[in-house]
Amino acid sequence: MATMATSLNIATQRVLATSDTRPVRLAGPVRLNNPWNLGSRTTNRMVKLKPVKATPEGGISDVVEKSIKEAQETCAGDPVSGECVAAWDEVEELSAAASHARDKKKAGGSDPLEEYCKDNPETNECRTYDN
Amino acid sequence: MAVSTIYSTQALNSTHFLSSSSSSSSKQVFFYRRQSQTNRRFNTLITCSQQTIVIGLAADSGCGKSTFMRRLTSVFGGAAVPPRGGNPDSNTLISDTTTVICLDDYHSLDRTGRKEKGVTALDPRANDFDLMYEQVKALKSGVAVQKPIYNHVTGLLDAPELIQPPKILVIEGLHPMFDERVRDLLDFSIYLDISNEVKFAWKIQRDMAERGHSLESIKASIEARKPDFDAFIDPQKQYADAVIEVLPTQLIPDDNEGKVLRVRLIMKEGVKYFSPVYLFDEGSTISWIPCGRKLTCSYPGIKFNYEPDSYFDHEVSVLEMDGQFDRLDELIYVESHLSNLSTKFYGEVTQQMLKHADFPGSNNGTGLFQTIVGLKIRDLYEQLIANKANARAEAAKA
Repeated sequence: MATMATSLNIATQRVLATSDTRPVRLAGPVRLNNPWNLGSRTTNRMVKLKPVKATPEGGISDVVEKSIKEAQETCAGDPVSGECVAAWDEVEELSAAASHARDKKKAGGSDPLEEYCKDNPETNECRTYDN
Repeated sequence: MAVSTIYSTQALNSTHFLSSSSSSSSKQVFFYRRQSQTNRRFNTLITCSQQTIVIGLAADSGCGKSTFMRRLTSVFGGAAVPPRGGNPDSNTLISDTTTVICLDDYHSLDRTGRKEKGVTALDPRANDFDLMYEQVKALKSGVAVQKPIYNHVTGLLDAPELIQPPKILVIEGLHPMFDERVRDLLDFSIYLDISNEVKFAWKIQRDMAERGHSLESIKASIEARKPDFDAFIDPQKQYADAVIEVLPTQLIPDDNEGKVLRVRLIMKEGVKYFSPVYLFDEGSTISWIPCGRKLTCSYPGIKFNYEPDSYFDHEVSVLEMDGQFDRLDELIYVESHLSNLSTKFYGEVTQQMLKHADFPGSNNGTGLFQTIVGLKIRDLYEQLIANKANARAEAAKA
């Protein structure tokens, strides 16, 4: 007996770990419309395993500020154009992202355990005892 | 319960071909590899009696989806965390029972693409509903998928992440009920309906401290997005099984601070495995002010309302709370007068609210009703699973 999760992990790890140059081919319902992935299906999979870079949190405030300026400029000419609306939508998206980044920072500070315990105080690693 | 049995005749090796066949009650996934020289097959057969229930949560950006998700996963139990070792900008949350995926991941146009075409993220043209449908359907039938990640910081589509079929899948975002095919996959759906006044107040709270923002920019952003919001997001509420409406209070005349809220929980009647919460007497119209001789409340007090109503031609029950809790005894007093809460013990609602007292809305109807909806979904899940198990037992007997 094993869980579905475990079994699929085995398969996935194999796929990721192999340096075989043959392409991963998926058939049936699993072969989904993955447009971001079409180009890389034929490449060496090790290449895809490059570490994902976290975007610096401090930078987002600058991006929000810049997007507001851009939206104001775009809309100065034509306040109902698609470009203007899209520019203000970008402001909303970035403001929400900045707010989430602030929450994350505030919630945990530098300690990921504290952040985790805030949401899960009942777990073993988060219990505190008197005596 | 996701029980899988693996019959393996050969260790998994090299390239794998994955195919699957599905039936209503079980799922079989075959992994096999082909050896190019001999063309021999080694089969691994996995049989799964997986039951994934799918919950949809719709709301505009900045309207409390994240808070709702934290309350919901807390009610289901276990820790909801981003996928370990994955993309730090992943939008997914995973716990033992639940996986929450953000539908922004199905943007077909990235930020630059939307700008060039002059469309917002609210516009269906910026979203890939075919892929959304395929992947939600695959997860519901117990098949893992490689889901794209929309990076909210860079505005780009990052490399996809592997999502395993969970017990409870929550899809949250702008359009969970927009596409009919996706809508039909939902076992339960919720819409957070934030009135314009409150939305404005919340966004001021969220953004005023942000550099570059002003009252004008916040207002301009809301107004610019409003036509698309009205056209594509708002109409989804007619399909929701539960709607949480957030309005300005009526307890303080001409209040427009948006601090005290009037919150309405609209619950559709006749939804399988979901029986609405009620106050005192099911189906009656009740107006209740809990504060008085037995319970002292602080200004401006608390007022409840409960009544049958109709909502987009559906029969519904509406529970309304105006005002906020300032003391614990107010909260527990209210809980003890509500029925059909699907709690497992007396005071569970209060316990959940206290556990997350620092979340926004923990002292008013938003927190209360989000918690209640969480309990109702837990109940729905348990009934659905029990029913499946019974059906299987019946089938085995026959």
